[in-house]
Amino acid sequence: MTERILTELVESFWKLFMVGLKVTIPLTLAAFSTGLLIAFLVALVQIAKVPVMRRLVRVYIWIIRCTPMIVQLFVVYFGLPTIGIKFSSFVSAWLVMSLSIGAYCSETVRAAIESVPVGQLEACYCDGLTFWQAMIHVIVPQALRTAFPPLSNSIIGLVKDTSLAYSVALVEILATAQRIAARTYDYFWLYLEAGLIYLIFCSVLTVLQRKAEAALERRR
Amino acid sequence: MLRLQNVYKKFGDNVVLNNVSLDVNQGDVVAILGPSGSGKTTLLRCAGYLTKADSGTLILDDRQYDMKKISSRDLREYRQKVGFVFQNFNLYGNKTALGNVTLGLRVSQKMPKAQAEEIGKSLLERVGLADRMDYYPSKLSGGQQQRVAIARALATNPEVVFFDEPTSALDPELTGEVLNVIKQLADEGWTMLVVTHEMEFAKKVATRVVFMEDGEIVEENNAKEFFENPQKERTKEFIFKSTTWASTAKKDDSGDNSTKQETIES
Repeated sequence: MTERILTELVESFWKLFMVGLKVTIPLTLAAFSTGLLIAFLVALVQIAKVPVMRRLVRVYIWIIRCTPMIVQLFVVYFGLPTIGIKFSSFVSAWLVMSLSIGAYCSETVRAAIESVPVGQLEACYCDGLTFWQAMIHVIVPQALRTAFPPLSNSIIGLVKDTSLAYSVALVEILATAQRIAARTYDYFWLYLEAGLIYLIFCSVLTVLQRKAEAALERRR
Repeated sequence: MLRLQNVYKKFGDNVVLNNVSLDVNQGDVVAILGPSGSGKTTLLRCAGYLTKADSGTLILDDRQYDMKKISSRDLREYRQKVGFVFQNFNLYGNKTALGNVTLGLRVSQKMPKAQAEEIGKSLLERVGLADRMDYYPSKLSGGQQQRVAIARALATNPEVVFFDEPTSALDPELTGEVLNVIKQLADEGWTMLVVTHEMEFAKKVATRVVFMEDGEIVEENNAKEFFENPQKERTKEFIFKSTTWASTAKKDDSGDNSTKQETIES
């Protein structure tokens, strides 16, 4: 490795890192929080057996899980404009990734809710609570604890999946690395560096997961 | 005060409750005895609206409720007037002992936190758990959990409290502390309906005993008469079998095996 490449890598490291902070992380957080909201609603609609809705959400899960995310991105970003609906790169990615997280995590959340003994729901009823009050105060908080490790998996997966947004012209970590490398032809080193940035972000999340799990464990 | 009329319930083709009627007066402690599968737990769950009966009427304080269909408003009103204690405690795993007792008051009755906690604390003191208020259920013994559950059932100051085999899931060592609390409630004049397998408890605490089998009430009497002077053959057999095992086991110690076997087969 020459001195030139080394200087270049140090400079590009901060560029990539800042893009990560300004694009990848906001996209991850936005898509994950929206996705989680969808996941809970979808899971509860199935558990509460809301007529019609419960069938519709199965169709939603089926379609999202059985088509590639990159195809979904192309449909939204390149396809929808032909019928007059136009989203920016960021919004397209946010939309598709929220729907994806919603579909996958709804199954995690549903299993976690069903793992809370049904007797606690009956006890809530006897305490005069409605189904939704019981969910909010008793069942979901316990389900979250169970769902926490698999949900952590999903958010770490999502950090890496944001790189797919490269294909719909979002200037995120990978796209930035590619642009720098196109000038200098140091593809090998820049793509390695892009990988390193993802590694750093995901490692931070891994540490946070461990700390959060320990904190949850103390409250039971 | 509480009156169940013609409660009928089928699971598939199996009739679990065949037009059962039962009256509970103010201050009564009614023990419901009977073999497994006799429908006693189902009767209690129907009375608590945890299982919908196929037909039947429930009267509490001159208010009449349909046991098959009830409006959510009526159900809310009814549930404030009854408490339910489960076999498996069913405490809320994410709430402390105090949080378990106060949740219904705070969420369902919208009572201010301080007021709800005052009620919760005094109830937990009454069941002997003043020093365990901040414990989560997983840190409590089975007996302590069940006492928290009893305090929770009393929080709304109900007219009737239902107990579904309150000691069946407990270590033998721990049943005493729970039965003592229930006895204390009986002495305070609470009206209670208790499904139980504890014959001694029924004998000592219950004012009335109901014996069920195959979805029907076989015999019903005040506790003293029920045990000392049972009328039906089936009731006699049940009481005999449930209370004589210990004495035949003693005979077994003296080496008299034949007596034991005859007794069990008879």
